[in-house]
Amino acid sequence: MPPGPQKKATATRPRTVRLDGELASSAPLNVKRFDPLSAFSKQLTPTPTPPASNHRPQIKKGKEKAKEAPLVDDYLWVDRYEPTSEAELAVHVKKVESVRQWLNEAFDGGPSGKLSKYRRILAMTGPAGTGKTSTIRVLAREMGLEILEWRSTISDTPPTEDGPRDDYEGLFTKFEAFLTRASTCHSLFSESISRPQSSPARRLILLEDLPNILHSQTQAQFHQAMNSFVTSPPPNPPTPLVIIVSDAGMRGEASDERRADGRGWGKDKAEVVDIRTVLSKDLLTGPYVTEIAFNPIAPTLMRKALQAMLNTHFASVAKSKSSNLAPSKEALDLVVESSNGDIRSAIMALQFSCVIPGKKGKKNTTLMLEATTRREQSLALFHLIGKVLYNKRKDDPPSVSATAKIMQREKDLDKVLKDPKPLPAHLQHHERRSSRVDVDTLYADSPIETSLFSLYIHQNYTQFCTELEHSDGVADWLSWVDSSGGDAWYIANPHQFHLLTLGTLHSLPSPVLRRSQKTYKPEFFAFLQKEKDAADSVRHTRDWVTQDNINGEFGRRAGGWSRDDVILELGGILKARDSHPGHAVQPPPMHRLFSRMEFTRTGSSVHSQQLDEAGLPIDEGIEPDVFYMPSSAAKTEDKETGGWLETDDIEDFP
Amino acid sequence: MSLWVDQYRPRTLDALQYHTGLSERLKSLAASGDFPHMLFYGPSGAGKKTRISCTLRQLFGPGVEKLKIDQRIFLSPSKRKLEINIVQSNYHLEITPSEAGNYDRLVIQELLKEIAQTQQVDLSAKQRFKVVVINEADSLSRDAQAALRRTMEKYMSNMRIILCANSTSRLIAPIKSRCLLMRVAAPNEAEISSVLQSVARRAGFDLPPSAGDKIVEDSGGNLRKAILTLEALKMQSPDLTGPLSIAKPDWEAYCQKVADLIIGEQTPARVMEVRSKFYELLSHCIPPTVILKTVAERVVDKVDEALKADIMHWAAFYEVRMRTGNKKIYHLEAWVIKVMSLYKHFFFNIDMSEFD
Repeated sequence: MPPGPQKKATATRPRTVRLDGELASSAPLNVKRFDPLSAFSKQLTPTPTPPASNHRPQIKKGKEKAKEAPLVDDYLWVDRYEPTSEAELAVHVKKVESVRQWLNEAFDGGPSGKLSKYRRILAMTGPAGTGKTSTIRVLAREMGLEILEWRSTISDTPPTEDGPRDDYEGLFTKFEAFLTRASTCHSLFSESISRPQSSPARRLILLEDLPNILHSQTQAQFHQAMNSFVTSPPPNPPTPLVIIVSDAGMRGEASDERRADGRGWGKDKAEVVDIRTVLSKDLLTGPYVTEIAFNPIAPTLMRKALQAMLNTHFASVAKSKSSNLAPSKEALDLVVESSNGDIRSAIMALQFSCVIPGKKGKKNTTLMLEATTRREQSLALFHLIGKVLYNKRKDDPPSVSATAKIMQREKDLDKVLKDPKPLPAHLQHHERRSSRVDVDTLYADSPIETSLFSLYIHQNYTQFCTELEHSDGVADWLSWVDSSGGDAWYIANPHQFHLLTLGTLHSLPSPVLRRSQKTYKPEFFAFLQKEKDAADSVRHTRDWVTQDNINGEFGRRAGGWSRDDVILELGGILKARDSHPGHAVQPPPMHRLFSRMEFTRTGSSVHSQQLDEAGLPIDEGIEPDVFYMPSSAAKTEDKETGGWLETDDIEDFP
Repeated sequence: MSLWVDQYRPRTLDALQYHTGLSERLKSLAASGDFPHMLFYGPSGAGKKTRISCTLRQLFGPGVEKLKIDQRIFLSPSKRKLEINIVQSNYHLEITPSEAGNYDRLVIQELLKEIAQTQQVDLSAKQRFKVVVINEADSLSRDAQAALRRTMEKYMSNMRIILCANSTSRLIAPIKSRCLLMRVAAPNEAEISSVLQSVARRAGFDLPPSAGDKIVEDSGGNLRKAILTLEALKMQSPDLTGPLSIAKPDWEAYCQKVADLIIGEQTPARVMEVRSKFYELLSHCIPPTVILKTVAERVVDKVDEALKADIMHWAAFYEVRMRTGNKKIYHLEAWVIKVMSLYKHFFFNIDMSEFD
C-alpha cells in the first residue's frame, strides 16, 4: 500500500475521532491500520517504560484501583441504571404514549369500555436495544402492574431419543400451563402482602424468552396456544399478553439469498424469528393483536439519556475518589454514532470506555471505542459506496466544493500513482487513467460482505452512468460475479469483491458526472419479503386446489398442481371467482399476492430508503425531533446537496 | 373445490380422448406383467400426469385412487429435520423432489430403500410391486439422479419408478436409458377443441364453436390452460356468445408492458424503471426464467429482423448465468441493458463488433 498523504487530527469533523490522532501529529508515518485484536496490548502498555519494570507497577495500579473504586463492580451499567421512570427512557415520547394507551385500554377498555376484549396481545417489535423491555417495565411500575414473565428453563430430565417419556413434562407443556395459570389464577403472595384488599392486582404476562419457534411443531403448538388465549374470554381483571420480538435477519446474509432463489431448501420455512413466525397470520391481521414497532433510538435522545446516566454515575463515584475519568464529549458522540440506535450496546461501550485504567484517558478511550463499537453499516459503508461509485482517477479535476486541503491531498496521491502502460490499438477502448481507489484497502475496510456490497452497487450504479454503455459494463460484471461462485457458499468465488469493484470502476465513466446523486439502500430485501409472502399465498392456494383432490370425491389425481402451474395458469380463474362471489367454494383471498399485478408507470410498491452517513433507518414521521438537532442526520442533508464526497476526508477513515 | 380440470379429468386409459395409440400401448404394458420404469415427458398441459394416474389405475384398480397425505421427517447429515409431504396410496407413492431442495438425494434414497425393502402384503393386489411417481423429475439434482440410477436396478423386483418431466434434457443419460420413454405431445387444435366440447357437455351447456376456437387459439397447445380459460369465461359471461375477449393473465400482460418499456427508451433512468418492474414480477413469485422468456419473446416480436438473433442469444446467455447465480435481478437487468444497447446501436448504425 502506498503511504497515504498526511492527515491531521480531525478538527473539522468531530464525528470521526481518530484512533491515532495524537500519534499522527508527532510520528506521521505511524500505523494507519488498526487491528482490533492486537491493538489493546500495544496501546495499553505504557510505551516508554522498559519491559522489565513494566510488569510490577501495572499490577499495583490494578490493586489500587480496586481499592479506590469499589463501585466499579460486577454490575453492568445496563442493569444498574435501568430506567425507573418515563423521564429516563430514551424511547420517543409518542411510542411510550401508544404503549401506555394500549395498556390502559387493555385494563379499562378505553372510552367505550369495551376495548379490553380486543386488547389481548401486544407485540412490541424493533431492533435490539431500542428500549422495548424497558418501556414495558417502566410503564408497569408506573401503573402498578405486576409482570409475570416466562423464562425457558433447561429441562430437568433431558429427553432422550427413544427413552420413556411418560413422566417427562416437556418445555412446551410447562409453557402452556404457565399461560393458563397466569391468565386465570391469582397470585397468592403479591396480592395479599403488598396490596390492600381493595382490588385484585392487575397483571400482565410478558413473553420475551419464547419457546423454540423455529421448530415447526413447536411453532404450531405456540400458535394454537396463542389462539386459545385470545379466544378464551378475558378474566376479570383482564390479563393482557405482551410479546417482545427483536428483529433479526434480513441483512443480506446467505440464507436470504438462498430463499430468494426459490429453489433452495427452506424456502417455505422461516429461518429467523420475527413477528410473523411468532404469531400466526390470522392472529396478526385479526383484531386481538396490536403491533407497536420500535425504531432505533434517535441520536439526540440517546445522547441525552447517556449523559444523564453518566452524571448519576460520576456523582456517586466521585465521592470515592475514583480515578475514572468521565468520557469526553467526542467519545460520547462516537458511542452514539456507532451504536446505530442500539442503546444497550451504547451503554456497554460507554462502561467499557470508563473502566480503562490510566491517565492517558482520552486517547485510550477513543481507541477502545473504535475497537469495540465499530459496527456494520455505520460510517464506513457510506464512504465505501461513494468511493467506488464516484470512480476518481488520477488527474481528475478537483470538484468545485473541494477545500485547499483536499486538493493538496489529491495532488499528493496522484504523484504516487503510476500511470498504466499504454494499451495496443485494438484495446484502446479499455484505456483508463490509473484509479485513486485502492481496492485492497477497500476490501480490508469493507464493513459488509461482498454479496451485500454488490446489492448496494446494484441499487445505485445507474445514477452514476451517463451512457447506456457504462451501465452495460456494470450490469454485466454484477451478473458475472453473482454467477461465478456457484450456488453454495463454500464454493463461492473468493475474488468476488475485487472483481466487482474493479469491474465497476472500469465500466463507470471517468470522471463521473456530478449531479448530487443520492445513495439508497437496496430495495432487494423489501421485495424479498414480498416474495416470501406471495410464496405463502401460493402454498395456501395450492393446498386449496389440491385438497379436495385428495379428500373429496375426485380424489384420484397423481401429482396435483405444481407450484409453477398454480402461479402461471390459475390467475384467470381466481380472478373470475373473485368477481363472481356466491360460488360455493371461494379461494383463499390471499391469492391476490401473486395473481394480481397492476402495471403503473409511476412509483414502486417499495419505498426505498436513503443511505446516510449514520446508516440509520430513521423514521421521519414518528421522530421529528431528529431533524432539528445538529445530529448526523442533519449534517448529512446539507452535505448531499453540496456534493458531500468532496468535503469528506475519506482517506481519514482508517 | 373442484375445478373443471380436475372434475372432468379422465380416470381410465379408455376415457382418454387423444393420443389413443399411446393409451393402447400403456394398456398392454400394464397387462403384460413386465412393467418397466417409465419416463413421461412433454410440454405442460399435455396430459402427462393424467396418463400416469390412468396407468396406475389400470395397473392396480380403483384402490390406487384412495390417497392419503403423510408427513415424513428426514434427518439431514447436519441433523437438520426435513419435513416432507408424501402423497400415497396402498400401491404407490408420489414425491416432488423440489420440496426437499438440496437434500433431494437423501430423501429419495431413504424413501426408495424403504419401499423397496417392504413386500407388498396385500395378497389381492394385482401387482407384486409398488410404484413411485417422481414429479418434476427435471428438477432433480445431479446427485439425486446418480443415486437413483443404482436404486432403479437393484430394487427392480419390488418397485417401479415413473418419472414425469417437461424435458429430458436435464436428466442424465443413465436414467434415460433405464426408463421406457413416453413422449406425451401437446394435443393439436382439433383435439383440444373436441375435449373442450366434451367438458362443456358434461358441465351441462353448449360451447359455441366460435368461443371454442378462440380458447383453442389462446391456449397454445396447453389443454389445462384451455379448460381453465373455458371455466373462467363461462363464469364471466354465462351464455358464451358474442364477442369474447380472453384476458391474458396479469403477469403476462405485465411482462409485455415491460418489453414495451425497453423498446421505448434506452437510458440508465429507464433501466431503473424496468428494474422496479422486474422486482415487482419476482415478488409475485413469477419464475425468473418465465419472465425472461416472455419479455424476450415480446421484444423480438417488435424489433428489426437483424436484431432478433442477438437478443435471443443474450437471453440464453443470461438465463444460464441466472441458473448458477443467486440474485436473479442482476441477470435480468444485464440482459435488458444488453438489449437496449443493441437496439440503440442498431439505430445509430454503429459497429457492433464489441458486443460479440
